[in-house]
Amino acid sequence: MTDTRADTAKRSRWALLHATLATQRRNLTIATLIGLLWMCGKVAVPWLVGIGIDQGIEADDRVWLWAGLVAAAGIASGVFTAFRRYYAFREARWTETQLRERLFGHILRLHIGYHDRSQTGQLMSRSSSDLQQIQAFVVMIPITLSNLAMVISVTVILALTNPLLTLVALAPLPLVNFAGRRFSSSIHPAVQAVQQEQAELATVVEETVSGVRVIKGFGAEAVQSAKLEVEADDIRRVSIDAAKIRAKYLPAIELLPQIGLIGVLGVGGLQVIDGTLTLGELVSFNIYVSLLVAPLRMLGMTIAWGQRAAAAIERINDVLDTVPLISDPGNPTVLPTRQSNSALGAVRFDGVDFGYDDGLRVLNNFNLELAAGQSIALVGGTGSGKSTVARLLIRFYDADAGSITIDGVPIGDLALHELRRAVGVVFEDTLLFGDSVAANIAFADPDASHDAIERAARLAGAHDFIMGLPDAYDTQLGERGYSLSGGQRQRIAIARAILADPRILVLDDATSAVDPSKEHEIRSAMSTVMDGRTTIVIAHRPGTIALADTVALVDEGRVIATGTHDHLLATDARYREVLAAMSDADRAAAGPTGLGRS
Amino acid sequence: MWGMSAIEEEDRLDADAAKQAMRRAARMAAPFKRTVLSAIGFTAMTTLGLLMGPVIVRYGIDDGIKPADSATLRTAVIAYIVVVSIAYVSSRQQYIFINRAGEGFLRLLRIRVFGHIQKQSLAFFDRNKSGVLVARMTADIESMAELVQWGLLQFVSAALLLTFSFILLLVLSWQLTIVALLVMPVIVVASRKFQRDSNAAYLDVRDNVGSNLSTLQEGITGVRVIQAYAREPEQTRRFEESNRGLFRSHLYSLRVSTWFFGLVEASGVIASALAIGIGGWLVNRGDVTVGTAIAVLLLLAQLFEPVQQLSQLYNTVQSSTAALDKLFGILDTTPDVLDGELALPASGAVVVSAVGFRYPETKSLVLDDVSITVANGERLAVVGATGSGKSTLAKLMARLYDPTAGTITFGGVDLRDATIDSLRQRVVVVPQEGFLFGGTIADNVRVARADASDNDVRAALDAIGALDRFEQFEEGIHTEVRERGSRLSAGERQLVSLARAALVDPAVLVLDEATSNLDPGTEVIVEHALESLMGSRTTIVVAHRLSTIRRADRIAVIDAGKLAELGTHDELLALGGHYARLAHAWAASQPN
Repeated sequence: MTDTRADTAKRSRWALLHATLATQRRNLTIATLIGLLWMCGKVAVPWLVGIGIDQGIEADDRVWLWAGLVAAAGIASGVFTAFRRYYAFREARWTETQLRERLFGHILRLHIGYHDRSQTGQLMSRSSSDLQQIQAFVVMIPITLSNLAMVISVTVILALTNPLLTLVALAPLPLVNFAGRRFSSSIHPAVQAVQQEQAELATVVEETVSGVRVIKGFGAEAVQSAKLEVEADDIRRVSIDAAKIRAKYLPAIELLPQIGLIGVLGVGGLQVIDGTLTLGELVSFNIYVSLLVAPLRMLGMTIAWGQRAAAAIERINDVLDTVPLISDPGNPTVLPTRQSNSALGAVRFDGVDFGYDDGLRVLNNFNLELAAGQSIALVGGTGSGKSTVARLLIRFYDADAGSITIDGVPIGDLALHELRRAVGVVFEDTLLFGDSVAANIAFADPDASHDAIERAARLAGAHDFIMGLPDAYDTQLGERGYSLSGGQRQRIAIARAILADPRILVLDDATSAVDPSKEHEIRSAMSTVMDGRTTIVIAHRPGTIALADTVALVDEGRVIATGTHDHLLATDARYREVLAAMSDADRAAAGPTGLGRS
Repeated sequence: MWGMSAIEEEDRLDADAAKQAMRRAARMAAPFKRTVLSAIGFTAMTTLGLLMGPVIVRYGIDDGIKPADSATLRTAVIAYIVVVSIAYVSSRQQYIFINRAGEGFLRLLRIRVFGHIQKQSLAFFDRNKSGVLVARMTADIESMAELVQWGLLQFVSAALLLTFSFILLLVLSWQLTIVALLVMPVIVVASRKFQRDSNAAYLDVRDNVGSNLSTLQEGITGVRVIQAYAREPEQTRRFEESNRGLFRSHLYSLRVSTWFFGLVEASGVIASALAIGIGGWLVNRGDVTVGTAIAVLLLLAQLFEPVQQLSQLYNTVQSSTAALDKLFGILDTTPDVLDGELALPASGAVVVSAVGFRYPETKSLVLDDVSITVANGERLAVVGATGSGKSTLAKLMARLYDPTAGTITFGGVDLRDATIDSLRQRVVVVPQEGFLFGGTIADNVRVARADASDNDVRAALDAIGALDRFEQFEEGIHTEVRERGSRLSAGERQLVSLARAALVDPAVLVLDEATSNLDPGTEVIVEHALESLMGSRTTIVVAHRLSTIRRADRIAVIDAGKLAELGTHDELLALGGHYARLAHAWAASQPN
């Protein structure tokens, strides 16, 4: 398979964020405007306090008027603080929400070859922690803009009032910004080290809990405790290292502005004595310095967050830029519908070659022809390529050469939706969703009536055990729900396929997860479904193989013999060999079978 | 792994339980008392330093600027510099001390909880899902890290700041203290409401994050089924539903905090306005100086930020106490398999008499009145259907559980009276699957006896005929097995597992035969290893293969918790019962 990004134009790092934010331009502008109003309120307060001291207290002139104005500015800045925060966070959450939906939709459409290579955990962190980073950055956009505006306007106001004192008061503040940046960049690796150690401790706990039978059996508790102690010590060590970094920067960041305050008291005090500055102005300088601390501290952090967000965006872009290699054709054909006299579901593999990413050829000039309604069992050893056949038929992968047709139509000419509705696959491992039993069966058609669901369950031999579940068809399954046995899960999967009513059914090792003593129950469910339907059975147990009309022996990527089970058993040495190898593998499980039925 | 999990009932902790958990944590932190006290001392010093600022400004204004005395002003500036320097130094120390204490406490908690988990019997592990136990040891303990790193510090410093400020205000001017008292009630009432609402909002967000993540995970892991059934649009719609739910809960939590932030902001400025109004009036009446009025103004400006910080801490405190409560729940679980005092003899018969067993909180008996005597050196095969109780019987014989009725003795000593150490030396269980831990092959064998030398390990591997196979590896027995032994084949993992038993060299071997398949090549080696391990040892084997069963001296057939048949292969065949049916079925399925 070629590189998934071969034919994609690499978007610039910010294009994705830009495109997303463009839809929110109006609200972000409102947030920024509110931020400017907030700034006006904040900036007015120290100024009014200064006048209040000079006019109201010192000159005893309308002190309550000034106090009232200060209170009014306070209320304004309180109201705008609230709105600025609300708008900034809401928009950031909305960006996150939108991106997550886009990402999820895209991940679901990506070809299976992509999913084979990527780990669930990786994709999960794209949609969770990476989006968090972006969200944290988007919050900062309107907030940083208004903070910047405040820093600039305060600096201008102060400089116009008293340039020398401004210099003295504000000189330490850039250091706050600088220290903030240094802090962010040095605490980040320290925090990562802590997380790394935490992960190592988690590994010890995990293996202890899962291996508890071994540990109890040998009385190895002390060994594990010693391991855990090492990890706990490591966590403590790196955490204290991180604390030392905090100890180095945080007090400095907090106390640097005090140097400005001291300067204001010393230099400003002399100016007041000289009569070039009023006491009120001195106090307002003092308050202005405190006012700038938070925005400057935040500006330092914004830069660090911006860098992290940029890295997150790049990782998300990597996913979104991956073009699904398997998609609908430009002009989809439709499958022929039922004619009065002919059945549907003929399948033909013609000279198909295929290899996975590792370059090894799995199918090699593979030919197979199935008449409508016919059933065939594919038998072969591990790595013979038999399971790949099913995956090609529903276009999880595209063949490298050759053609695959259903009722004469090349599968590549069909809309994916139509193709996959026409072919139903029951996989080896059944995935149940965190939903009710009914919804799991009605997966193909969520609008299916309860009668239809029950009929499918009955045909699959699942109705009886479902009625025994706590809430029958409404029992919740999945990770947080009721857990079913392998055989029960398999029967739900078969019911799912029955309800989908595909013209071609593929049973991919559908009985392998099932306790051999229960296999016969599933076998009868399977034969009901196969009746009159084109079916490909991939199996290794003779009982299952016998369900099919014919058997195709697959070896080294091609069909090397076809015939009935009995015929092949009698005539083909390789067939006997393959069956023997597989029953050998199954022998272990054969023991309890007899007792299980007694 | 995802940090946030769904809310459990225990996350909603009532105030009393929270207080109790806190008190207990404080008792547990006793060894760190001095470190904590130092941290608090440094915090107090820092806080006092910060509070001195306005006082020094007052001194500078009233005694320096007003009387135009520049020397006094200089004194004020120098005093200010000294105070800030002291605050800086003590502030650095407070971080270091609180972290030393906090991380020390977390380390202790990790070790204790883990030790206690390990003391529990298997029944405990059956009851508690492994994910939950791992979460206790990771997410729950980590949820306290934030509190330890800066939360407690902030809490102490905010509390000190509020107290000191109040005292200082009273000293400066009792009349102006009224200003603070006018605004504070509003803040206190608002904080309480905020705490309540924000806790609800926080739990709501957590719940939504949890379900959003599981929908996400389901979509990603289920992509093959979803594509096969062409359900992408439907799944995307479902995801959108949960995603929008998450968005709404974020908005709710945002609304809860937003008005509070605005209110605190406005209150702070209104307090300043009051200080100017009332201060001006008092100055002009001659009750206070200008410097005092200004000092109060500056003090009040410092007071409102801590209030805001305290309220934000609330959620962290809440989730930490909930976590503590859950951890104490584990520490309070008494282990139900306790150490005895007698040493087991070197050899003897295993006698199971009238043993019954039921899992706690269930009604049906897993085993009912089972009596078997396994003679010294005898090999007994235990067979039965899935769920018949045969594996439970094997586990009871190794005292992984205690029987609920009857006794099991070895050499005449009840297993419950034996020390766990001597029990593990005499009786060894080899589990079905070869479970490997992180580390090397040698480390994994040594699980059975921590003090074994490399040569002991080699001898154990050699005893089961597996040494050559592992010595072929580039690093021999020091080869890293990688995560869960992924570097080794299933058969090799079983060999390691068997070598553990060989290292202990026990008198009694309890085997749970594997049902899974091995490649034919390894199969032979594993069977050979098993055979040499069993040798002439007393062996109880839960058997799945007739070949194993046939080699046993006697066979016990367990059916529905009862001993159905007991005897040699031939005897049981002649009996024509369960065992005979099994043997015939097996013979019929044999390839010719």
